[in-house]
Amino acid sequence: MSLDVTPAEPTGDEAPSRSRRVGRYLVGHPHLVLVGVLVVLIVITGMVESNYLTVSGLRNSALFAVPIGVLAAAQTILMLTGGIDLSAAMIATGAAYIAANQSPKGAVIAILAGLAVGVLAGLANGVGVAVFQVNPLIMTLAMSGILLGLFTSWAQTIFSGSTRMGPFIRTLGGGSFWGRSIPWAVVVWAVLSVFVIYMLRYSGFGRNLYALGDNKQVSRLSGTRSWQVLIAVYTIAGVFGAVAGLLLGGRVGAVDLQLANVFLLPSVAAAVIGGTSIFGGVGTYTGTILGALILGVLQSLLTFLGAGQAVQQMLYGSIVIGLSWLYTRIAASQ
Amino acid sequence: MTATPQALVTATQAGWRRWLRRHGWTFGVWLLLLVLLAYYATLIPRFGAFQVASIVNNGTPFVFLAIGQAIIVIAGGIDLGVGGMLVLASVTAARFMEGQAFVTTLVIAVAILAAAAVINAGVGWIINTSKVPDIVITLGSLYVFQGLALYMLPNPGGGTSKGFRWLFTGSDTGIGTNPWPAVVMITLVVVAVALWMAKTRSGLSLYAAGSNKTAAYLSGIKATRVKILSYAVGGAFAALAGLANTAIAGRGNATTVGGNLTLNSVAAVVLGGVALTGGIGSAIAVVPAGFILFFLSPILTAMGVDPSNAQVIQGFLIVVVMSVTGVLEWRRRRRS
Repeated sequence: MSLDVTPAEPTGDEAPSRSRRVGRYLVGHPHLVLVGVLVVLIVITGMVESNYLTVSGLRNSALFAVPIGVLAAAQTILMLTGGIDLSAAMIATGAAYIAANQSPKGAVIAILAGLAVGVLAGLANGVGVAVFQVNPLIMTLAMSGILLGLFTSWAQTIFSGSTRMGPFIRTLGGGSFWGRSIPWAVVVWAVLSVFVIYMLRYSGFGRNLYALGDNKQVSRLSGTRSWQVLIAVYTIAGVFGAVAGLLLGGRVGAVDLQLANVFLLPSVAAAVIGGTSIFGGVGTYTGTILGALILGVLQSLLTFLGAGQAVQQMLYGSIVIGLSWLYTRIAASQ
Repeated sequence: MTATPQALVTATQAGWRRWLRRHGWTFGVWLLLLVLLAYYATLIPRFGAFQVASIVNNGTPFVFLAIGQAIIVIAGGIDLGVGGMLVLASVTAARFMEGQAFVTTLVIAVAILAAAAVINAGVGWIINTSKVPDIVITLGSLYVFQGLALYMLPNPGGGTSKGFRWLFTGSDTGIGTNPWPAVVMITLVVVAVALWMAKTRSGLSLYAAGSNKTAAYLSGIKATRVKILSYAVGGAFAALAGLANTAIAGRGNATTVGGNLTLNSVAAVVLGGVALTGGIGSAIAVVPAGFILFFLSPILTAMGVDPSNAQVIQGFLIVVVMSVTGVLEWRRRRRS
């Protein structure tokens, strides 16, 4: 299986060199392959359901991609350091739950309370990973269990009461502007994306993340205090988790403790499809955004096909395997 | 000559230290399980055969799943799909075993184990051929297995034979006071796995490939074969866990979340002293670790902690245990 875009047989004298040139160009710009996959998926979905290629159809895919994309921002920045966040979905759920609980006190307090959940949980993850040297997989997995337990018991005690989001957060998560065409959630995601891309590309902190994931020893020897970087990045990831939770909770309206669960593995998948290496040091958030959009469109396609849960999951898994395989192929021939 | 006694003492001391360094973790985890059991016995008003049987029987799937994960992790991989494989095997068994005679169910069980080994060997092959990290491919296989399971048995149901239930639970109804079939099965399986991994060429090749791929390659070990072998055996263990699950419940349920089971197995493997980086650990220590993880919530419940707080404590304990190992490892590295 080589590049899909390369014709199997040369059609003329110039064809081989041109196809090779195309191939080489794609190897240099692996994101173009993702864009291609995305466009093909959108076209296929449009052929299956003609109503899809309208503003409202694409809007639905975008809305589905938002929580995946924001959670995947957390996964991306952590994967760059060689970590992962299995508690991201539970942080999102917890943040949404607290925000819903504090909603009667006003939007500002609700949002701040939600974000505080992300900061605290992320900070705890960071301390565990950086100071106590716990494996990130285990640390965040345990954190997920701890949060679920805490919120389950708090739901009946100190945080019993409202589970409904206030109107402002509901607008932010599910509302749109310009004649219901552009969802506010997408705007929030876009702002967050600019921040993440800027951070990774231009800030010293972002470069530290790549350095740390690429070679821990060298990064330490060149003066990085890795524990500080790790605590900071896990805290930021926690905040991203909380943002995802607020947006998702706003879209759904009422919050329960299963809210964001289903988005955990897709968020990892989005980062991976987007070319972020789980071993650290390699990846961009641009790729992750494309990965999240692909998964969003895929969800629409599967819904239109009327595929049952069983077929959906099988296709989903196959596509994660297939795309990551393709991507690794392209990256390897670089 | 006069120094001999002292030399002897230091020699035995060194030997003892080496034993502790090598097997200390295994020993510690077993000890922890025993302490927890003893503590549990004093906690609840009646501690008898029923309680023991309940812990042993219901813990069996966790233990098998953890052993499967341990084999894969030792060989340098990690399989997020094992939970999905458990669910898939469980519902397949429930669907085909319903209303069958004992012998037929045994044949079906063997077929499922073989199929699981072949399918997961395929996963191992894909990982090796595609060069995509294990965690990614198996994230995909987790979804595929879970989907297949739903396809196989859309609604909870199915069944199995009485004999098959006895085989895993010591009773025809799945509830009883007889832990022995499960104990015997776990013992046989663990001894077999331990011997295989410690004494045979193929078993040792798992450690070799897991600890240093290049060195293993240079000493003539075929990485592809090891990867496929570890995934095949791990998949078969996940399926065995699934069969145990069907025997215990008497039915199959495809909506069981395989992802959670997988994460549990990873936690058990780590608690059992297997390094997630590969090459270190043994199946023997994973058995008590699996039981401990399963067993913590009944203990905490018996202590009067409510289940959700119990979950908090469980997570916290895992972190504490891991930070102890993390700090020990860090100190060792700094000293050397």
